Amino acid sequence: MSRTDAVTRILFEAFSAAEVRLFYLLGYAAIAVFCYGAYVQIRKYRRGAALKLEGGLGARVAAMLSSVLSHRTIDRRDPAAGGAHRLIFYGFMLLFAGTATITLEYDILEPLFGIRFWHGDFYLVFSLVLDVAGVALIAGLLYMMYRRGWLRLPKLDYARPDRVPGDPDFNRPQYRREDWAFLWLLLIIACTGYVLEAARLVWLQDRPDIWDTRWWSPVGALLAQGMRALGLEAPGGAVLRHGLWWFHGLIALFLIALIPYTKVKHIFTAAASLMVRDPLAAQRLPRIPDSQQQVGAAKITDFNWKQLLNLDACTKCGRCHEACPARAVGAPLSPRDVILSLREFAQATLESGAVPAAAELDIHGKAPGQVAMETLWSCRTCMACVEICPVAVEHVPIIVQMRRKLVEDGAMDPLLTKTLQTIHKTGNSFGESKRKRGAWSKALPFTVKDARKQPVDVLWFVGDYASFDPRNQKVSQVFASLLQEAGVDFGILYDGESNAGNDVRRVGEEGLYEVLATANVNALSNASFKSVVTTDPHSFNTIRNEYPDFGGKYEIQHYTTLVKQLFAEKRLQVTKPLKYRVTFHDPCHLGRFNKGYDAPRDLLALLGCELVEMGRCKANSFCCGAGGGRIWVPDPVGSEKPAQNRMKEAAAIPGLEVYVVSCPKDLTMFEDALKTTGNEGKFVVKELIELIREAIPAQRAEAVPA
Amino acid sequence: MKILVAVKQVAALDEDFAIRDDGRDIDPDFLIRDLNEWDDFSLEEAVKIKEGAGEPVEVVVVSVGSGEVDESLRKCLAKGADRAIRVWDSGVEGSDSIAIARVLAAVAKRESPHMLFAGVQSSDQSFASTGIAAAAFLDWPHAAVVSSLSYSPGAKSAVFRRELEGGLLHEVEIQCPAVLTIQLGINTPRYASLRSIKQAAAKPIEVLSLADLALGAADVGEAGSLSRVRRMYIPDKGRAQLIDGDAAQQAARLAEIIREFKGAGA
Repeated sequence: MSRTDAVTRILFEAFSAAEVRLFYLLGYAAIAVFCYGAYVQIRKYRRGAALKLEGGLGARVAAMLSSVLSHRTIDRRDPAAGGAHRLIFYGFMLLFAGTATITLEYDILEPLFGIRFWHGDFYLVFSLVLDVAGVALIAGLLYMMYRRGWLRLPKLDYARPDRVPGDPDFNRPQYRREDWAFLWLLLIIACTGYVLEAARLVWLQDRPDIWDTRWWSPVGALLAQGMRALGLEAPGGAVLRHGLWWFHGLIALFLIALIPYTKVKHIFTAAASLMVRDPLAAQRLPRIPDSQQQVGAAKITDFNWKQLLNLDACTKCGRCHEACPARAVGAPLSPRDVILSLREFAQATLESGAVPAAAELDIHGKAPGQVAMETLWSCRTCMACVEICPVAVEHVPIIVQMRRKLVEDGAMDPLLTKTLQTIHKTGNSFGESKRKRGAWSKALPFTVKDARKQPVDVLWFVGDYASFDPRNQKVSQVFASLLQEAGVDFGILYDGESNAGNDVRRVGEEGLYEVLATANVNALSNASFKSVVTTDPHSFNTIRNEYPDFGGKYEIQHYTTLVKQLFAEKRLQVTKPLKYRVTFHDPCHLGRFNKGYDAPRDLLALLGCELVEMGRCKANSFCCGAGGGRIWVPDPVGSEKPAQNRMKEAAAIPGLEVYVVSCPKDLTMFEDALKTTGNEGKFVVKELIELIREAIPAQRAEAVPA
Repeated sequence: MKILVAVKQVAALDEDFAIRDDGRDIDPDFLIRDLNEWDDFSLEEAVKIKEGAGEPVEVVVVSVGSGEVDESLRKCLAKGADRAIRVWDSGVEGSDSIAIARVLAAVAKRESPHMLFAGVQSSDQSFASTGIAAAAFLDWPHAAVVSSLSYSPGAKSAVFRRELEGGLLHEVEIQCPAVLTIQLGINTPRYASLRSIKQAAAKPIEVLSLADLALGAADVGEAGSLSRVRRMYIPDKGRAQLIDGDAAQQAARLAEIIREFKGAGA
C-alpha cells in the first residue's frame, strides 16, 4: 500500500457489522426526526398569510451570504460577541463540512463511482484544518459561556418590562436552560472529538501511516502524547476510542435531530430571514389591498409567512431590547419580548396537525404569548430595533399591523382618538383651520409663492409642526428667508397641503393615512415643480418611501442636503463662523430611516461648530419619544420620558453649548425636556436652521436672482 | 326589535366666517360639518344595547338633510348602525326644530321602533327640542337629558337616570316605546376608523321624500314651523382704549372722554 492510499480517515475500523448497521439506523432516524421537524416548521410558516417578495432570488441569496459570511450584522455594537460567533460559526461549518465530505465519499462517491479523495496529502491538510476549526469552535463557545455566566449583560436578562415577577412568562427560565444546554452540547461534541482523535492515535500508535502523520492533527497528537505519558497504551486506547466514538457520534446525531425543535434552528431561520429582508421594512409600511375586508393583525395567521419566519429567526441577542427607547425609560415594551411572545404563540398554535379555531388564534391580550395593547402603544416606531437586528427581524411592521387592529377596535388612548378625528376633520393635528396653514408666512417681508397657482423650482412641503406650532413657525420663517436670500425659486401649497400622514400610518390608522396620502399626492400632482424639500423628516420619509405606492413619485430632499448644496454653490456663505461646542441629535426619520447622517454634520462643520458626538448617535440615535403618534399621547406622569433620558446624555458632554436638532418634533420635545431635566441655562436646543441663520447674519442685499 | 336613532349633521365655524347675504345664517362656505357630538353618544348607546342583546336588534339612524349628510350617516353605519334613512326635500329648508320633529315622527311611524333616541341638543342650534317634539307628535312618553340607561330590548319599560341640580340623581321608569334624549358622557363613543367608514359605503342609505312619509309642503319649512330666525349677527363689542402719555395728559384725556359721554347722554 502506498503512503497516499494508506493515510486516510479511520472510520468504522474494528466495528462489528451489527454496530455499523446500528449506527446507520440511528443516523437515518436522526435525519428522519430532523426532516419531520423541518416539515412542521415549514407547515407553520405556510399557515401565515401569503406574501409575494419583490426582487430576484439571486440578489437575495447574495445579500444573505454576504451578511452571514462577513458576520457584519453580528459584529455591530458587540464586536466581542461577533468575534466569538464567527469562531463558532466557521469552526462548526468546517467541521460539519468535513464530516459531510467523508459521508460524500464513503456513502456515495466510492460505492457508486469508486471515487476516493480522502487520503494522502488532501486528508492531512484537511485534518489540520479541522483540528484548527475545533480550536476555534471551543474558543468561541468558552467566550460565550463566559459572556453568559460572568458578564451579566442586561441585554441577556430575559426579565420582561411588560410582565411582573410571578407571571408565568416573566423571565422565561427555559430559555436560559436552553442557551446553556446548547453551549454545553457543542462544547462536549468538540471536546470529545479531540479525545476521540487522541484515543485513536494511542490505539493505532503502531501503524506508521497513522502515528507518523499525527502532527497533522496537532491537538489530537498533543492529547495522545499526554495520554501515553499518563500510561495509556494501545489496548486501553482502543476501548476508549470505541466508547467515545459512540458517545461523540450519538450526541452529534442528537444535535442534528434537535435542530428544528430548539434554538439551533436559527442556523436555518436566521439565514432565511436575512434572505427575505426588506431594506424598507419600517420606512414603507405595507398597504392593505382594497379587496381585503379585515384590517390589521388580529390572529397569528394574519401575519404573513415571512413574519412567522422572522419570529423564529430571533436569537434573543437582546440588541433590540437594548436599543429600544421605550424599554430604556421603563415602558412595558421590549421588541425582543414582542417577537418571543408571538413566536411562542405560533409554536403553541400552528405546529399541531390542525390549525385551532379562530378564537384560539387571538394574539391580543395578556395571556402568555399574547401582546398587550399597552405594549403596542408604547412603541415609537423609531426603527432602532429593526435597524440593529442581526437577523433581519422586522418588528415595526408587526407592531403597526397589530395596532391597526387596535385602531379598528378603538382600543387606544382617548387623546389619540381625538387627534385622529381632528386630523380627519381639519387635515392637521392642531385642529386649526385649513386656511391658516400658510399663515406663518405672513410675517415675512416677502410673499411665499403659492405653488398651486404658479410653477416653482422647489416645492416646500412644510408639514404640520412647522406650519402650526408657534416655536417651529419661527424656524419656518427663517428657512423661508434663507431660501429667498439664496435665490431659490420656491413655493408652498398653503391650504392645499394636509398632514403628510407618516405618523398617522405608524399609529395604525391606515384608512386615514390613505385619505391624507391621496389628498397630498393630488395636491402635488396639480402643482408644477422640479423637486420637493421639507424641513420635517417625518413628511420626508413618507413622501419619499410611501407616496410612490399611492402614485406619487417625487424627487425629495431633506433641507439639510439642499442647504449644503446652496453652500457648495456659494449661494449661501458663512460670514460669521460660530465657535459653538455642539452635539447633534439624529432624527429617526432622517437618520436611521433614510441614512441622512452626513449632511447635517457637514453643515455644522461649515458653520465652524465643534461637534461632539453623543454615545448614541447616527444609526444608534435615541428617539425623542415623539414617533409613531406618541407626540399626541403624553407619557405617563412620573416616569422618565425618552427625551429626558436623551437630555441627560447630552448634559454629560463637558462644555456643551448647543444641542442641535433638525426636526420640528425634536425641537418641541427637547426644549421641553431641557426644562424638565433642569438643564435650562446650561445649554440650549436649536434647530440647525437657526444656527445657519446665525452664521449668515446680514441679509444679503445682493441675493442671487433666481 | 329595533332602535331608531335621530342624528344631525351640525356645522362648526371655521376660523374666519361670514354671515349669509340674507343675514339669517352663516355662509355655508365657512362651515365645517360633522356629526353632532350628542348623537355620537345616543348612537353608541343604541349599538351597545344591540351588542349586549341576546336577540337580533336593528339600529337604524335617521337624519333630515341634503346629500352632504350622507358622510355623517356613513360614520354612523361604520360605528355599528345597520342602516340609515335620510329625508330630504328642498321644502325642508327653513324648518325649525318642531318641523324637523314632525318629519322624524313620520319616520318613526313608518319604522315603528321600540325606542327612539336623540341627542339632548345639537351643538350648532342648541334648541334641545327636536327629540321631545317628536315624542309629542308620536304621543309617546319621553325623557330628556338621560345620563344612564338600563333597557333590555323588547322590554315593556326601561329605567334611566338623570342628573339634577345639587348632585341629585333622578331614577325613572318609563313605558316603551319612548323617546329619550341622551346626555354626553353616558358612554364612551367608539372610534370609527376611516377603513370602516369606507367599508360602510356598502350599507344602505335610504333616501325618503316627504311624499314617502305622507307629509306635505305645509308640514315643513317656514309653513310647518312655529318659529323663524329673524337674523344672525355678531353683537357690537364693548370698546376699550389705552390712554397714552404722562399722568397729566392721561387725566386731561379722561376728562375729555367723560365730557363726550355726558354730552351724548344729554
